Amino acid sequence: MKKILLNRDFILFSIILIILIAVGFANPLFVTPKSISDVLTDTSILIILALSQMIVILIRAIDLSVASNLALSGMLISLLSTVHPELPVYYFIALSCVIGTILGVLNGISIAILKVPFIVTTLGTLSIYRGLIYFVSDGKQVYSNEFSEDFLALIHVKFLSLSFLFWLAVVVFIVIYILLNHTRFGRNLYSLGGNPDAAKYIGINENKYIIMAYSLSGFFAGLCGYLWVARYSVASTQIAIGFELTVISACVVGGISVMGGVGTVLGCVLGALLIGLIRNALPAVDISQFWQLAISGAIILLAIIINTKTEQRKEKTIMVEN
Amino acid sequence: MKLELKNISKNFHGVKALQNVDFQLQENSIHALLGENGAGKSTLVKILCGVYQPDSGTINLNNKQQSIPDPSASLSLGISAIHQESVMFDELSVTENVFIGNHITKSNGLVDWGLMQDKTNQLLKDLEANIEPNEKIKDLSIAQRHIVQISRSLIHDADIVIMDEPTASLSQKEINELYTIIRNLKKQNKSIIFISHKLDEVIEVCDEFTVLRDGELIKSDSIQNTNKDQLITYMAGREVNQIFPKNDVIIENEIFEVRNLFKKTQFKDINFNLRKKEILGFYGLVGSGRTEIMKSIFGITKLDEGEILFKDQKILIKKPSDAIDQGIVYLSEERQQLGMTGLMSVKDNINMAVMDRNSNFYVMNTLKEIKNSSAMQEKLNIKVSYWSQLTQSLSGGNQQKTVIAKWLSTKPEVLILDEPTKGIDVRSKSAVHEFMGELVEEGMSIMMISSELPEILGMCDRVVVMYKGLIKDILNVKEASSEQIVKLASGES
Repeated sequence: MKKILLNRDFILFSIILIILIAVGFANPLFVTPKSISDVLTDTSILIILALSQMIVILIRAIDLSVASNLALSGMLISLLSTVHPELPVYYFIALSCVIGTILGVLNGISIAILKVPFIVTTLGTLSIYRGLIYFVSDGKQVYSNEFSEDFLALIHVKFLSLSFLFWLAVVVFIVIYILLNHTRFGRNLYSLGGNPDAAKYIGINENKYIIMAYSLSGFFAGLCGYLWVARYSVASTQIAIGFELTVISACVVGGISVMGGVGTVLGCVLGALLIGLIRNALPAVDISQFWQLAISGAIILLAIIINTKTEQRKEKTIMVEN
Repeated sequence: MKLELKNISKNFHGVKALQNVDFQLQENSIHALLGENGAGKSTLVKILCGVYQPDSGTINLNNKQQSIPDPSASLSLGISAIHQESVMFDELSVTENVFIGNHITKSNGLVDWGLMQDKTNQLLKDLEANIEPNEKIKDLSIAQRHIVQISRSLIHDADIVIMDEPTASLSQKEINELYTIIRNLKKQNKSIIFISHKLDEVIEVCDEFTVLRDGELIKSDSIQNTNKDQLITYMAGREVNQIFPKNDVIIENEIFEVRNLFKKTQFKDINFNLRKKEILGFYGLVGSGRTEIMKSIFGITKLDEGEILFKDQKILIKKPSDAIDQGIVYLSEERQQLGMTGLMSVKDNINMAVMDRNSNFYVMNTLKEIKNSSAMQEKLNIKVSYWSQLTQSLSGGNQQKTVIAKWLSTKPEVLILDEPTKGIDVRSKSAVHEFMGELVEEGMSIMMISSELPEILGMCDRVVVMYKGLIKDILNVKEASSEQIVKLASGES
């Protein structure tokens, strides 16, 4: 029982529940099924990106370029759709994923082969990918009336009165859960992050895993490129700007250790949900807009403190009673 | 013959770690590899694991000549080592650690957790070990970790298992369990290389032995033909020669004393004193609590009980800066991580602890800094190519001297040295020793932790011998024999 209570995921889940109840008291309208389904829809992209960021963080790295990657992939397919509105939507989704993956592979090659530190590489590509959006779009926006109906329709499909975005996030959750817990690839990611030296001793090829992790991160950034553009019906140079920091906070709140090798897929999703909840709840309880950013930051910090305090380090024992 | 090493030599920057060593491991036998620290045991093991390449010599496995270019080659040849240092994955389960890199997959490509769990369970049962397969490694005791490592080597189908001091930090009960497991391994036709400092257990468990000293083969024979005293003589039998140039100094009054130091699970009943101009040695096995005591004296960790007296005054040390203010400094064993900043120059490193003395109103006085560092560089003979050279580009010996210079700048009265010559070349070693002699002549008092017996015998006036967090005895070095010290440190007598 004590083990369950001290489980990080359980603590995180409790924090989410407490916030939900507290907000419910302040504003009962916030806890209606409709409103909660809106929060879930709104958080879905964050969940998907947090899950793919988790793969990278597990091997002691970080991908700062996800938001720029998302924006560039999204812009490229939007521009294509204005020229070829007749193409089916699946074509655009696939293309967006391919573009994202290529951008991710470039990150991976730079880190694994060229040995540029991950923080420098992704900080660089954050600017490069964002800068390319200006180049390809001439700084112009693609407005909702320029997209084909087909392009925007998919995102509004509902199943069991929950949105397409939400169900997609569920699918990604299941896929990544299986990938990380039930494939050799996933398990090797954990060992590589947990003890890189020991991982080399058992013959894990570090470079291969770095490139794979970054291409997965890129793939999902590309997928979210389509989702973002379709959901907000606009593609501009500014979309998702700074969103990489929200994604990384979701992972950290979710207990994914930036020291690598530690973290659960469920925790990651809960971390994203907590952040999504805070972002949606603060306006609902009538807190001044000027305060919202600072308060959400404080709550995130508090959640991390509670979460990490539960993990106590053990000291090595020297004396033994004979 | 299972494994035969012939004429193995290995040099590190001119230091002969192994010289023409022969080693023979019989089929189905437990073979003890013995020697003092620095005798060459680890080098030999690392050659077998593919971490080091020998400079010369041949390795024959099952009567076939082999080369072991890297760790995975060693594994695939059926050699598996159970290391002292952690090569495990703390955050992962027992099952996963056993199968790491070797996960069993189902026909659909997914990892077969059920089967791996069952196999681990079976394996642990065969070894008569009481471990749950889904526990995380970080929650296991050291003994249990060894058992998981053993299970891992069984999964790899290893037929040579190397155990590096597997019982170093285990209780008697755990040791007995481990013996059972080792004997079970032997029944399964494995050959075992067993490294240990505990001679009683070597005689109890092993079939054969090989003793190395200073990188040379001293003796290899069947255990039945020897006894403990003889083994001690083989290991410690070197005469302390001229490499320890310490002059006699007249030791003065007591300057420092500790009473009844106690820290839960780490050490208890620690009482000793230090006199002015004395060098007090601390000898014991790795992990016997020596470093832990010094860290609490220096204020890095907190004592549970006990008091510290300095110049007959009771002092309270809560943090390292308290100790430094009193004139007590501690030189860590891990100089790379804790003692110096490799990316800073020698000058900056030397002045790091005395910034307040070298500054006027918080502005650094570069002239004072240069004065201090050049004086220290001259005194300690630290060789730099140019004045701003980064510390990390120096040799190990010069790095160690830089760390010493940093602490000497604080003008301490009591110097605590933790393994001051670990891993440095012979010449720097004797420079450090010579310098220690000069320091005590100038009036300093030194406490030195060392795992090298010759160093203790050559440099110290008295030696505190520790075993499992307890002081076994405090001996006058002139009257003590190395056999006596080795015996005390391995918990005998």
